[in-house]
Amino acid sequence: MPKILAIEDDPDMLAALRMPLEAQGYELFTATTGEEGLEKVKEIAPDLIILDVMMETATAGFQVSLELRSPDEDSPYAEYRDTPILMLTAIHTTTSLRFGPDEAYLPVDDFVEKPVDPDELVEKVELLLKQSAVG
Amino acid sequence: MELEQILARLLEAATQVLQADAAMVRLLDDRGRELTTAVTVGLPDHDSAVEPVAVDQSALDREVLSGRTVILDEIQEDVRGATLPQDYCSALCVPLNREGEPLGTLYIYATGAQCFSEPHSELLAPLVDLAAEAVAGNRAYAKLKEQEASRGQFIRIATHELRSPIAVAQSLLRNVVKGYAGELNEPQRDIFARINRRLDFMQTLVNDLLDLAAGKSPELGEDEQAVAVNASVGRAVLLVQPRAEEKDIELSLDPCCEELVVQASEEGLDRIFVNLVDNAVKYTPAGGSVRVSLGRKDEEIQVAVSDNGIGIPKEALSHLYEEFYRARNAKKVDAVGTGLGLAIVKDLVDRYNGRIEVESELGQGTTFTVAFPVLREEAPVSGRAVSGRAVSDSSVKTMIAQP
Repeated sequence: MPKILAIEDDPDMLAALRMPLEAQGYELFTATTGEEGLEKVKEIAPDLIILDVMMETATAGFQVSLELRSPDEDSPYAEYRDTPILMLTAIHTTTSLRFGPDEAYLPVDDFVEKPVDPDELVEKVELLLKQSAVG
Repeated sequence: MELEQILARLLEAATQVLQADAAMVRLLDDRGRELTTAVTVGLPDHDSAVEPVAVDQSALDREVLSGRTVILDEIQEDVRGATLPQDYCSALCVPLNREGEPLGTLYIYATGAQCFSEPHSELLAPLVDLAAEAVAGNRAYAKLKEQEASRGQFIRIATHELRSPIAVAQSLLRNVVKGYAGELNEPQRDIFARINRRLDFMQTLVNDLLDLAAGKSPELGEDEQAVAVNASVGRAVLLVQPRAEEKDIELSLDPCCEELVVQASEEGLDRIFVNLVDNAVKYTPAGGSVRVSLGRKDEEIQVAVSDNGIGIPKEALSHLYEEFYRARNAKKVDAVGTGLGLAIVKDLVDRYNGRIEVESELGQGTTFTVAFPVLREEAPVSGRAVSGRAVSDSSVKTMIAQP
């Protein structure tokens, strides 16, 4: 049963994420701050990470993804570098996000725009899990 | 004309009229504590007299600012200092004030001794009044701009804060509607559908408000570049096409034969055309038609969006671009429009030095025409392939070919 870690500070949004994901059979873990999220990545070693772009600060989500994908050899997250990251965004969040996932701008694998459609969420999660299992 | 230029002209006139040698205007800061030199005439740049002056350290300035004209016949050693330039023996010191409020000081200097007297001060009066008016006008304008920016800022923050709870509520609701929270009975399904629509409306309203506030934001000007009008209109038509098809409305595009370019923000220009074309489709009944045509007239490029829809009632015409205004017949077609679409269009058109006109006949149709000054005729950099908005020339031509 794949493990998903959702890093999201809004408890209501977490509830909206939990419903379709658990219905699909995934085991959901949560963290409400970027810092807590990074700790839990090491603790749980999730198969996929869902990350909200904005949490306690406007750049919290960015910071987490940058940390996780840090190319540093001695990065504490080196072994989690390939864990797929799905980012939750709002339109107009930042110009760079409108250019789609791009290693140069933001190291995430896909985006889901808020408000979140549960079917779209499940579809994207499934796709990312499949791709990372093969690759 | 800039304030500095006006004051410089007035000072030149003043020194000529009084046959004086130099003059200076100093303006008081908001807190009334410091006088900063705004304009000088006849004074060397390095003169120490042009340094800012702390009001509480200058008895002379305090007296002038209180409304009194001071004539100095022989500038004494002890009166010299920060306030008065060297080499001048006579000075006429006049307050600049408006409606009793001190705005600054105007000092005229002469190298001779005892050059000024009461009649000189009277001669100067009309020029001093003009200077005071100019300063007061400039301040009022600056304050207005500040308030507008601040209002824009407030709207931006407020609507930004609204985004999140609305998006979360919608996300939760989608789960319910799609059955993830259990089976729904008919009345529940009905209620949630209504709530959903209202939330969607709130989201649109918030986005429109943000666009409106952004339109008033001073930073937007940095985004401006040369934008190809044909391509921008093409993108708008592509975007609205599906909605037109749903209503069986014939949406046609007649581009300009030349590829004309105007100075604007690409996003802003796109927004103008999307709003106009979308409105045309929205307020035209099924089976109708919307025609978008471009043309050049002298130094202008004109874009006309013409429909055979419900038209605009006469009394609505003068209110069309007001924020939140909706004509009564528009409300019948779409109960929940935000009323901001045209306000946003007008804002953007003004920003890009364009103009907008409307012709309409109730029950027959409407034509909106926007016109912009042409920047140049070169082919622009090809459309950015961003967010699926690239429109190649071939796709624009295909649209014309379709009946």
